Amino acid sequence: MNKLLMLGSAIALTAGSAHAETINILMESVPDTRFVQVVLPEFTEQTGIEVELEVVNYAEMHTKLVPQLVAPSGSYDAIVVDFYWVGEFTKAGWLQPLDERIEQDGFDTSVYFDSLMNLVGKVDGVTYMLPFYNYAMGLTYRKDLIDDPKEQAAFKEKYGIDLRVPQTWDEYMKQVEFFTRDTDGNGQVDFYGVVNQGLRPDPIAMEWSNYLYANGGQYYEEGTWQPTLDTPEAVAALEAYKTNLSHYGPPGAASFGFDEAFNVAAQGKAFSYITYNMFRTAYDDPEQSAVVGKVEIAPVPSGGLNGAWGWAIPNSSPNPDAAWTFLKWIESPEIAKKRALLGGSPTRSDVFDDPELAAKYPYYPALRNLLDTARNFPVFTYTPQFVEVLGRELSLAVTGEKSSEEALEAANAEFAELLEKDGKL
Amino acid sequence: MSTALATGAIERSDRGFGYLMAAPGLLALFLVILFPIFFTVYTSAFDYTLILPTHDVFVGVDHYARAFDNAEFGQSLWVTLWFVAAVVILEFLVGFTVALMLNSVERGKNVYYLILLFPLLMNPVVVGLIWRMFLHPVLGIVNYLLSLLGIPGVNWLGDPQNAFWTLVLVDIWHQVSFMVVLLLAGLSALPREPYEAARMEGASTIQTFLHVTLPLMRPVIMVTLLIRLIFAVRTYDLIYIMTRGGPGQATDLVSYFIYRQAFVGLNIGQAAALSILLLLIVLALTAYLYRYMRSLA
Repeated sequence: MNKLLMLGSAIALTAGSAHAETINILMESVPDTRFVQVVLPEFTEQTGIEVELEVVNYAEMHTKLVPQLVAPSGSYDAIVVDFYWVGEFTKAGWLQPLDERIEQDGFDTSVYFDSLMNLVGKVDGVTYMLPFYNYAMGLTYRKDLIDDPKEQAAFKEKYGIDLRVPQTWDEYMKQVEFFTRDTDGNGQVDFYGVVNQGLRPDPIAMEWSNYLYANGGQYYEEGTWQPTLDTPEAVAALEAYKTNLSHYGPPGAASFGFDEAFNVAAQGKAFSYITYNMFRTAYDDPEQSAVVGKVEIAPVPSGGLNGAWGWAIPNSSPNPDAAWTFLKWIESPEIAKKRALLGGSPTRSDVFDDPELAAKYPYYPALRNLLDTARNFPVFTYTPQFVEVLGRELSLAVTGEKSSEEALEAANAEFAELLEKDGKL
Repeated sequence: MSTALATGAIERSDRGFGYLMAAPGLLALFLVILFPIFFTVYTSAFDYTLILPTHDVFVGVDHYARAFDNAEFGQSLWVTLWFVAAVVILEFLVGFTVALMLNSVERGKNVYYLILLFPLLMNPVVVGLIWRMFLHPVLGIVNYLLSLLGIPGVNWLGDPQNAFWTLVLVDIWHQVSFMVVLLLAGLSALPREPYEAARMEGASTIQTFLHVTLPLMRPVIMVTLLIRLIFAVRTYDLIYIMTRGGPGQATDLVSYFIYRQAFVGLNIGQAAALSILLLLIVLALTAYLYRYMRSLA
């Protein structure tokens, strides 16, 4: 009886190892993930490796990742890393360096834009990630309204300047004010100049960064890492944000995440929305948008916030070799082009230069412009905590519970504390 | 005499056997409940972060001292106090009323049960998500229905005061049936005689309620309130999904605050200290309420 049992289990074990390999990846529920899902079957056909994607909301990703990265053997073979976790993940030693693998397989990383390789590729000269997609923020606006001669005439009359794609922040603020109106004559404003994403901590912090840069402010001084949030420029940026959110935006914007805000704009209820460039494609999707073909994207005056995700292999990966096979494949020129054809956000010059893609997506030059002018958020070991603090202070200012000066001073002080803790200050 | 000795020996061996039988269960209890608590207390005395998960740096009561200095922690305790009070009291009032009404229903009780229990069976994350959609101020169905009645749209989650009470209301929708079920169980187990006596003495409904029902229900009410209170302090999913603690800090409950310390701040040692403080507060509250309700008897 015992011998039979042992024989049976031995057979079962060997049978088990002949089963197809599977790799698990945690990803965010955004359009670019959908495009990856579309091309996955090809990978399984070519290599026999099954890929299981766990797709979750952004806010849950960091929490799900950290325990799996700390454990000696986690549940994810490959992961995607948001740019502002890079400092934390590399300091903690959770990511595998990829240089050897890249050299061995002759993988060409020179096609990636420098700014993206610096954000989600190399850290201190070591390559830990391959850029996946970029989400530099830009200004999405209703092109049909800007091009309308009636609007142009009325705008010129009211402000004395032309109505065009805003080149300066001041122009933009005037346009926001101009377009906030009551369209059905019932005494209540129902079309908004702007829709904001004021939810703590990530949406509001990312969106406000654009306002900060546009008003001439910055987070810290290059080189010395001295925080500069308690400056008049930052205060002006926060005041502008408060004005937009409370006077020219829809009610409830103080708790909108990017989904809620996007839907307001996509349902045709807002003139503009500063957001991640990957939403540009979603505006043209008739299943999600009521303003197909009416929205265009432009850089935020003075440069918007840069952002990107990178593919990485954690040290706790149960199957790093299979994970690398996948990474090589998903970022190969053919597959990168396929994903871009579906609407994926590009990170590499060979995609931008491809004539087929340029023909399909006439806004590629605009996206390239965005990437060139985009500016980085401070990335260090405690960036997630800083985003949490900043989000809280901004939200307190927006609801009027703290003055802009107080809120920024508090954020500045905690920023300094965190920088000191990291040894940067 | 010899039989007494014999039964004593049998009793002792019985008891010994009983402990042996209970040992696996006790071991499980120790591993699952006591060990994590001891580990948490132990970790709270060290600088244990997810970046460097080792018990190398001893900090003693530093984390506890910092907790007292931390205005955000104090604020979250204050918000939690209000939230728990609002939720427990309102759910008790609504729940008790419904339970009293259901108690006098003759037929169709099961149908009412089913309808009332539905929200409670839903995952809190799902509850948060669907209500967030319903309450979207521009695109949501609630404001749309209000507009049909001529009422201007309400800013449910974007205004600090509104957000707090909206969360209370969603929590009531979700969990009031918990109260209903427990209180109804208590009501249906009450003896008939005191009610007959009261009716014979000519007591009004209100008098019957105040002088017969309430005193008899005291133990059930006490347990129900305590259980609900302990669970209310742990409210986390609803906050996370619906408001992320905002706008401002209006809905920043203490569970969500501690979670952020652990998984965003990566400071497990600090989070452990905060958890122990919370545990002590809840224990104290429980003990106080228990003694108070006992003293009313």
